[in-house]
Amino acid sequence: MERYDLVVVGAGPSGLSAAIEAAKCGLTVVVFDENSRPGGQLFKQIHKFFGSKEHNAKIRGFRIGENLLKEASACGVKVILNATVIGLFRQREVTVRIGNEIVHVKGDAILIATGASENMVPFPGWTLPGVIGAGAAQTMMNLHHIKPGKRILMLGTGNVGLVVSYQLLQAGCELAALVDAAPRVGGYGVHAAKVARCSVPFYLSHTIVRAEGEEFVTGVVIAEVDHSFKPIPGTEKHFEVDTICLAVGLSPMSQLCKMAGCEMTQAPTGYAPVCDKTGQTSLPGVYVAGDVSGIEEASSAMIEGRIAGAAVAERLGFLGAAERDERLKQYEAALSSLRKGMFAPENRGKAPKKTEEGLPISMNLLQKGYMDEAELEAYPGMIHMPGLHPVIECTQNIPCNPCQDACPRGCIKIGADLTALPSVDVSKSCSGCGMCVASCSGQAIFLVNEDVGEGFAEVTMPYEFLPLPRPGERGMALDRSGTPVCPCEVVSLRSAPAFDQTNLLTIRVPAQMAGRARQYRVGGAV
Amino acid sequence: MSKLYSRNEDIGEFVPAPDDDLIICRCEEITKGEIRRAVHDGMRTITEVRRFLRAGMGLCQGQTCGRLVQGIISRELNMQPANLTPAPSRAPMRPIEMYVLGDEKEGGVPND
Repeated sequence: MERYDLVVVGAGPSGLSAAIEAAKCGLTVVVFDENSRPGGQLFKQIHKFFGSKEHNAKIRGFRIGENLLKEASACGVKVILNATVIGLFRQREVTVRIGNEIVHVKGDAILIATGASENMVPFPGWTLPGVIGAGAAQTMMNLHHIKPGKRILMLGTGNVGLVVSYQLLQAGCELAALVDAAPRVGGYGVHAAKVARCSVPFYLSHTIVRAEGEEFVTGVVIAEVDHSFKPIPGTEKHFEVDTICLAVGLSPMSQLCKMAGCEMTQAPTGYAPVCDKTGQTSLPGVYVAGDVSGIEEASSAMIEGRIAGAAVAERLGFLGAAERDERLKQYEAALSSLRKGMFAPENRGKAPKKTEEGLPISMNLLQKGYMDEAELEAYPGMIHMPGLHPVIECTQNIPCNPCQDACPRGCIKIGADLTALPSVDVSKSCSGCGMCVASCSGQAIFLVNEDVGEGFAEVTMPYEFLPLPRPGERGMALDRSGTPVCPCEVVSLRSAPAFDQTNLLTIRVPAQMAGRARQYRVGGAV
Repeated sequence: MSKLYSRNEDIGEFVPAPDDDLIICRCEEITKGEIRRAVHDGMRTITEVRRFLRAGMGLCQGQTCGRLVQGIISRELNMQPANLTPAPSRAPMRPIEMYVLGDEKEGGVPND
């Protein structure tokens, strides 16, 4: 039987990170993945990631995946695809289906990094073709370049629901509505805002009553829910859609851990193995990392992988205890900086009323997906001054700071605390380079010149839709709710390698619209 | 977790509900009503319901319906879902043809 120092199950962000960490310490590492492509969910993530530089912030997910694969192959990790691990037995023996054969391998350590699967919610018609998971929609769009549908209703306003909604719009699908049974948007406000300003209505405290159709989905009925999440009669709303996307949470794919005999626990983040901070389960030498140990996101999964990799290396004698502790200290600091703010794991289910700075959280943002201009004025990123300046519509404490490093003149300040709200230093002058606009993963930064003469203002916004507007073209300016507010003219469209596919669209609007125009729509009045 | 459940506890009569014909386990086509009725027929754990109805024993091995079945049983028993232990996991972890399962290969993984 073939023996490896470390056998990793799952070639996603945590599995690959652990494999890299271990291989760099000299371990022989094999990674099995049942899919035909490595990278787990990373290759479906076309949006820019949050965090700081050390967390790969402002890099698009699929690029992070490509970098991980390159690094893994450079340090000699063997990644075997179409390889399904079907069992984990005593003394860390793994059985893998490769082609039509069963192969046995043994690992001195095992890392289970099998990730998660999507939750489903049953309603009449939920088994009709056209009802799909949000992850499935992402796979169709971003891996196979197939539109999941023409007109779609999304259930779930967590980050998955919001991010996939935006990607559906980018793919050219229409979004009929975003629906959530909870009374508040679950994901980042900035993700909600970029969907809302594309004219997508939000229905919070609503749920799906039924899907309509005989052979496939032709429509959907939603209704408002009461405090016990029961639909209220008379509040039904009907939408003609051909696709219903479900983004109602993830569950750890922890069956392999359970099968192997790991002690399991029912945590708020799912049914997962009990493990210590290095991912060591109740079975000696069997580790877990990433979503299988409790649902989080890819950035923390990668750090968890590094931690487990270093722990395994020390366990097998490839790394001294002091060196391991040094690494763990560094990784744990990176992890805890990501786990801060109002979306931290410990704040799950809580609804803070104020930011860390003591500013009120906008209920409009949480209920409709966008803020009023007047509400924004309280925030440090919202400034008015003569000439060109950034306007930062970032109003929640999320762990992210690329905007601070992006400005070559140091206009934008977040400070050492990753979750602090960005503020604009009005004593510095803005060069208009647009690096901050392109670097904001939440697409929440705009450049505004409130007076360019003749009663006009110019607004520069991040733009990630095709076809790209041309200078001189006329269209409609939309406000934060996606409502057309005035005709406008495209002044310029800037693309640069440093912007990484985020185009900077500048439109000219009447001066009084400087604070309202936040989106551009091709074509005339609606 | 998994507190001992008294089988003598009175959970009342089975009361039909309008959504009883909702399919919960898609692989084995088991409805919500069948699962609820099974609880009233004496199946008080996920494992018992699984053996009785085959809910969660199809192609996806309960990946989709596991949590839903857990929720339905716990509501019927008027207890927290977390108090019901999920069904056991056994090898093979994925559906596999018998001829493949029996085709054990000597040596290690193929080199590419």
